[in-house]
This record gives sequence, structure tokens and C-alpha cells, in this order.
Amino acid sequence: MVVPLNTWILISNFKLAYNMLRRPDGTFNRHLAEFLDRKVPANANPVDGVFSFDVVIDRGTSLLSRIYRPASADGGVPSIADLEKPVGSDIVPVIIFFHGGSFAHSSANSAIYDTLCRRLVGNCNAVVVSVNYRRAPEDRYPCAYIDGWAALKWVNSRPWLQSPKDSKVHIYLAGDSSGGNIAHNVALRAVESGIEVLGNVLLNPMFGGETRTESEKRLDGKYFVTLQDRDWYWRAFLPEGEDRDHPACNPFGPKGISLEGVKFPRSLVAVAGLDLVQDWQLAYAEGLKRAGLEVNLLYLEKATIGFYLLPNNDHFYTVMDEISNFVSSNLCSVLLLGFLVLPFLSAASGNLSKGAFETASDWEMCEMIAAGVFYALHCQISVKGGAILR
Amino acid sequence: MVTKRDREREKGDSSASMAAKAAKGKVWEEERPDTGMDELLAVLGYKVRTSDMPDVAQKLEQLEMAMGTTMEDGITHLGSDTVHYNPSDLSGWVQSMLSELNTASPSSNFDAISNQTAGSSSTTMIDFSNGKQLGDQCKIYNDDSEYDLRAIPGGAIYRSDKESDRGSGIKRMKSSSLEPEFDDSLTVAAAESARPVVLVDSQEAGVRLVHTLMACAEAVQQENLKLADALVKHVGFLAVSQAGAMRKVATYFAEALARRIYKIYPQDSLETYSDILQMHFYETCPYLKFAHFTANQAILEAFAGANRVHVIDFSLKQGMQWPALMQALALRPEGPPAFWLTGIGPPQPDNTDALQQVGWKLAQLAETIGVEFVFRGFVANSLADLDASMLEIRPSEVEAVAVNSVFELHRLLARPGAMEKVLASIKAMKPKIVTFVEQEANHNGAHFLERFNEALHYYSTMFDSLESSGLTQPNGQDLVMSEVYLGRQICNVVACEGTDRVERHETLTQWRTRMDSAGFDPVHLGSNAFKQASMLLALFAGGDGYRVVENDGCLMLGWHTCPLIATSAWQLAGGDS
Repeated sequence: MVVPLNTWILISNFKLAYNMLRRPDGTFNRHLAEFLDRKVPANANPVDGVFSFDVVIDRGTSLLSRIYRPASADGGVPSIADLEKPVGSDIVPVIIFFHGGSFAHSSANSAIYDTLCRRLVGNCNAVVVSVNYRRAPEDRYPCAYIDGWAALKWVNSRPWLQSPKDSKVHIYLAGDSSGGNIAHNVALRAVESGIEVLGNVLLNPMFGGETRTESEKRLDGKYFVTLQDRDWYWRAFLPEGEDRDHPACNPFGPKGISLEGVKFPRSLVAVAGLDLVQDWQLAYAEGLKRAGLEVNLLYLEKATIGFYLLPNNDHFYTVMDEISNFVSSNLCSVLLLGFLVLPFLSAASGNLSKGAFETASDWEMCEMIAAGVFYALHCQISVKGGAILR
Repeated sequence: MVTKRDREREKGDSSASMAAKAAKGKVWEEERPDTGMDELLAVLGYKVRTSDMPDVAQKLEQLEMAMGTTMEDGITHLGSDTVHYNPSDLSGWVQSMLSELNTASPSSNFDAISNQTAGSSSTTMIDFSNGKQLGDQCKIYNDDSEYDLRAIPGGAIYRSDKESDRGSGIKRMKSSSLEPEFDDSLTVAAAESARPVVLVDSQEAGVRLVHTLMACAEAVQQENLKLADALVKHVGFLAVSQAGAMRKVATYFAEALARRIYKIYPQDSLETYSDILQMHFYETCPYLKFAHFTANQAILEAFAGANRVHVIDFSLKQGMQWPALMQALALRPEGPPAFWLTGIGPPQPDNTDALQQVGWKLAQLAETIGVEFVFRGFVANSLADLDASMLEIRPSEVEAVAVNSVFELHRLLARPGAMEKVLASIKAMKPKIVTFVEQEANHNGAHFLERFNEALHYYSTMFDSLESSGLTQPNGQDLVMSEVYLGRQICNVVACEGTDRVERHETLTQWRTRMDSAGFDPVHLGSNAFKQASMLLALFAGGDGYRVVENDGCLMLGWHTCPLIATSAWQLAGGDS
């Protein structure tokens, strides 16, 4: 087996249940879906250093989000007045998370996503806001994006989420599967809005297109997912009469827009090597790069969908590490600086070892290197050589 | 690429949480035998024994092959016609579907694939939590004979009509004095439960108000009555500037705190108007309707095939639960059974025969729908005053018995030994099914401050849901009366102690432990009840935030993501009664 037994059981169980819920006529057995979905309530009592509470951020649409926060160091139980206490440290990343489910399944209070969000808090020392967006087929495009945008505005306007260092909310958008797609589109909406998104984290993001790619043909039905079900979900989400080249599905396709010159956030994109839509995900990363945007692409050759749901495989830890690094570095230039430093460091040390500082520029070089290294260390960048940028 | 830091963190986290649990005195849970469940799946809501996992995997594979063969028919059938139970028990769920597919397509050749007994239309589902077979849990239930939602009464059914002399003798019980028997073994330690919080209006003034309320409660706990007095007055001052639910909740809690501080306990005319208040609550929001509906669903299923049925209602009140059940029984394809109803209620302060009046009205309804009906009423100060022998229950071969209680059982926890006595009486009644609905909250903790905090969360959410429902109510008085109804509960939880404090709500987890110890097995409510309850909510105006959730075979109704009431069903342990 490619995956651990409990992962296989978990994902196969979802596959089985989801097959029952999708009807050939495009309708969805929502009651059975809600019955089968394993949900957990929020818990203001800290568990493993994390507590959570729900907020209805838009009464009109009943839009709810679940907020996850690190518990205080003394492990004290937060009272209702403490829930929205201002965040402590200098800089606190706030990750707005959009759960997956191919736009139709799951909720912010689904057990799998509650667990994932809790892990993100501990891993990144972040506040996580998980958005309970409206789902297809009852609420098609653009409802999920509208809800995501509402959540972004809400988060950005909370005084208690501002980092004390600069009184700004340090926002990252994250999501898996359809959630990744939503993160991209909300970031797009945020451009030119005055709300700064510091980075996007996309795990197995859901993209597609009319053409059948090589990976789709090769992997159709091989690892839990079929083309047929992918098609069903797009039909359920996209406006009636639209095909998969709609920009929501295929952002860099024939109907897509170029992001060149657009102030779009930097992205961390994780692609599972056994996911049949990987060609679309890789094309997405390419599209960002072509527009001159910073992309950190993580290709996990042996990973299947849902690998991040259970901490029983190496890919899980890899991704958690990458996400942690991603949200702890604030300036992309620092990353590049770190890279620039290395070759100069080796060159300068060569000069120094010869015992010669022949020109004033050598000194300046040394100072710059020292400053750069010091700055990189200060921002907790771990430079992993060639591994980070593929 | 394995990162040691993360691996250690995972291990570290779990040992930290173990230490934390032990520190908080939750030792009893760790002393339970190791059930050998896969921990990672358990966190995600699935209970699978590690030793069962290869078998579950194999069944999943078989199901996939089977579905591939039957194509869409098999899948649609499983999705729409089958009733699903207890999805957390993956092994049982998968097995039930395999059997379902086998019976659906007897001509196919995967009888050989499944190793389980095929060919019968019902499957035994193994509930590994107690290692016993529950029997007949997965019957194929025809969803066409649906529960008639229109039968749920509103104000219309209780016109003041002429009353025909249909009721049988009403027996009066002399309240006997109870010998206090404090049975330690059945005291259920409040498990460290989750504290779900849903905030709707996070205004700064609201937070200050809550802060002040809690500070006041803390002062009361520390018996610093001078400070408490000052704070409770401040709450009153702050509350005025609030709007909506927050103001109302704060006002009720402040009043309750004031009573506690000044020791002005509410008069025991609490029973007065309680029925009327509950009627208004019934109209304003769906909690009671949901309670009746889900309990009736379980009772209906338990009564399948019986010709004589007997419901013992511990909480008759105005009898609002029964018209719908009677209607559903009348619509049975095989015709209605003879329906006996024993209703229990407290003595009325004005000495009116409330029970008899209810009985007469129900009898009238029974006549119009053609159901043979007998009503008996019992007046009792406490359920513990009853004995099975008083209730004229006939042997189980003759009649199927259901015991039903809505928001009533928790009151027994105010008197030591009362709960145990009542559970024993219930067993003596040999019921086919026991249904009860309770508030999903821990308002019975040992410490006042803890109770206060829990209650504050709970009733804030309750009031918030009323606020939304209230917006669509044509009759504003219903809303006010519903708030008074809840306000009385708040007063009792906060201001009273000892035998006066009867609103001793406990969580489903606590009730499960209690029922298990007392010799009852769970009867699971399935996807059909869930679906119909959800549909009921959709009909209910102003109900956008209400949610039904399935929890290990029980159904809970909550406001957004916060569960507020829970319906559970039980039978005598060890198979059919």
C-alpha cells in the first residue's frame, strides 16, 4: 500500500460516502452528507495548547468562522472576555483557512479540518480563522469567494488581531483542495483593495480545465479520485452553462487573466505526485512564475490526496515545516538576500583566507554579508540550499 | 524528509495532554480498559479498533468492487433508501452497506465476496463499545411511510372544546417521604467536557458586561458579599446600554445573582404557569418540537409490529408530543395499534385536574383519527414516588412499552438516590424503548463559579437563537414568555442549592455513563430521523442558524455549532425485552 492503513481507510471511507451523495442529475444529498460528516464543537477549554471559539461574522448569510488561538503559557482557561484578547507577541501571523471538500463537502467544524487547524496553530504560532463558506451545488460560484472576501475584511478589521509591532493584521490565506482555489481567488479580489495578504498557502489546490491532461489520464481512478467525480464537482460549482475553462477553474487558461505587474502575494503550493489534477496545479505554479511572482513549489512525489490529514507520513511533516517557515518570514526580499549572501560569503571568505583586503569594496562586501546574515537569522529563515526553490 | 522537531512535538503534545488530564482529576477515564482503538482516526471522529482495521479495509474494497458492478443503481439505493446508523462505527457502517447491497442484488455473484450472513433483510450490527450485539439496528426502512410533519401541533389543536367523558380514573399519589440513600457508585463525575462558544455580537460593552457578571459570581463564590453587591448593581447599569439577547441574559443572571446574595429565594410557586410558559417556548423556537419529533421517531420504530402500545410520559405537561405520534400510528399500513398513554405530572397549586384535561383533549383527537385510546394520569410530586406496579403495565407479550421524558430526568439529581430509584422503576416497566431529551450542558458541577460560567455560555446561546426566531414571530408575547421560561431556569441554576436546585443539567456523555451503569444499551437514531428533523427545522421560520448533529447514535439540536439539547434512546441491556 502506498499510504498507511489508517489513511487508506479514512480516504476510502470518504470516497465511498461521497459516491453516495453525488446524484447523477447534479443534485446533492445534503441531509445524508451532514449526517455522515463527523463534526466537533469549538472548545474554549485549551486542548494541547489550543482553544477555539466560533463567531458569526455575517448574520445575514449566517457566515460562521472558527477561531483557533494558542492558549496562554500558564495554560489558564480563557474566559469569554479573554477570547478576543489582543494577540501577544510582536508579530502574530493570522492564517485564514478555507477547508477542502471540492466546494461541496465538509465544514469548518468537520473533525478532519478542526484537527488540521489546531495543528497549524501549534506549528506556526499563529491564529487560525477557518471559514465556513457556502457550498455547491446549493450555492454556486461566486458564493464561496464572496464569503472568503467577507472573512478577509472581517479579519483585517479586528483590532485584537493586529500585531503589536506595527498595528497591522498579518494575514495569510490558506486552503486545501477547493479551499486552495478559494484562497487564490480571494487574494485576487484583495489586490488593489488596500488589504495586504502576505502569502498564500495552497495544498493540493483544486484547478482544472477542458483539456484532459496527461496526469488526469494516467491517474484516473488510481488513487481514490476519478475524472468523473472531478467533472461532477465543477459542474456543481461553476455557473450553469459554463465549462471548465471558466477562470475560476482554470485561472491561467484561455479565459484567464495575466497577473503580470499585479501585486499578488507570494505562494507556497504543495502538489501531491499521485493526485490526478497535478498537471493543473503545476500549470498554476508556472502561471504565477511567468507573471514574475514568487512561488515556493513543493512537489511530493509519493503523496496522495489528503496526506496532510494524518501525521503518519513524511509528507505531512515536510509540509508543516514549509508552512511554518513560510508564515514566519515576512519579506520575500529577505529570502532572496539569504540566497544572495551565500556565494558572496564563500568568495569573501576566500579573500579573507588569503589575508588580503585589497579594496575598500571588500570591506563593504563584508559588512553587507554580515548584515545580511544577521538579518536573515533575525527573521528565522532557514536556508536549505537548493531545496526550497524548485 | 522527516523533521525530528515535529515528531517530538507530536509525542510531546500527547504526553502533555495526558499530564494535563491527570492534573485535572480525570483519572477515571484512564482507568478504563484499553479499547485498542486507532488514535489517529479517533481524533477524526471514527472509532475503529486497530485489530479490526485490516478487516474494515477489506470490506471497503469489497464495497468498491460491489458498487462498480451494480453501477449507479446500487449507489443511489444506498444513498436514498437505506437508513444509516452511527457513522462513527466505521466497521458496522461498512458492514451494513455490504449486507444491504447483497440483499438488493441477490442475483449477483458477490455473495461469495462477503463472508457475513446474507439473505436476511436485517443485519446485526456489532457495537464494539460494549462488545454486545445490538440486533436489528440496520433494518431496511422504507422512507415512504414518513412521519407526518403537519401533525405537529401548534395552537390550533387546543381550542376550548366541549369535553367528552373519555378519561379514565385519575389516580392521586400521596407524596411519600423518601429515605435518602446516597449511592456513591452512580454519582457520575462530570467529565471534562468541551466548552463550545458561539459569539454573535462581539461588542466591547458586551465583553465588559460579561466580565462584570463573572467577577460578581467570583465574589459570591468567595463570599465577599459586599463586593458582589456592588458588582451586581454595576451589571444592571451596564445592561441597560446593551441591546438584544445580551441585555436580557445579563438581566436574568444579575437577578439570579442578587437573589443569591440577598438570600431571597424564589417562592415555590415555580410550578405555576410553568406549563403555559413552556407552551410559549414551544411556539417560539424549535427545541421542544425537535425533542418531541426525534423521541417519537424512536418510539415509532420501536413500536413497529406491535398491536398494543403503552407510552409512559414522565413529562406530560400539555401533551403536545402525542398528537403527532398518534397520527403516525393511525397512518400505519397495518392500521393503528391500541394506544394507551400514562401521563405523569405534578400537583397543581389551584387543585385543577390538569392531567385529566389533557387526557380528554387527546381522547378527542384519537376518536377523530380512529385510534383506540386510553389515558391514565398520575399526579406525583416526584418521579421517584412512582412504582412500576402502580402503572398497570401489561406483560411485554401483550403490549410494547415506551418510557418518555423531556427535560424532566435531571430534576431527580437534586435528591440523593432518586435517580437510581427511577431508573430501577423504568427497568421494572420492561420498556421496549426509553427516550429522553435533556439540555446539553453541565450545570451540575460541584463548584458554583464553574456552574455559573457554563450557564452563562449556554443561555447566551439560547437567548441568541430566540432573538433570531423572535424576529419572525407575529406574536411578541410568545417571545417574552419564552424568555421568562428560560429565566426561571437561570434563576434556579444560579440562586438555588440543595433539593431546591432542580435544574441539574448534565451532558450526553454523563448521561451515557449513567445509563450504561444502570443496565441500558443505546438505541441509535438514524439518518431518516436526522433528515426529517432537518427538514422540520427548514420549515421553521427564522431558523437559519439551527443545526442537527449526529453524535454516536444520538441527535442534538444546536444554534450554529453549539449543541443545546440532545435526544437519546435506550433499551434494556442484553437484547430485546
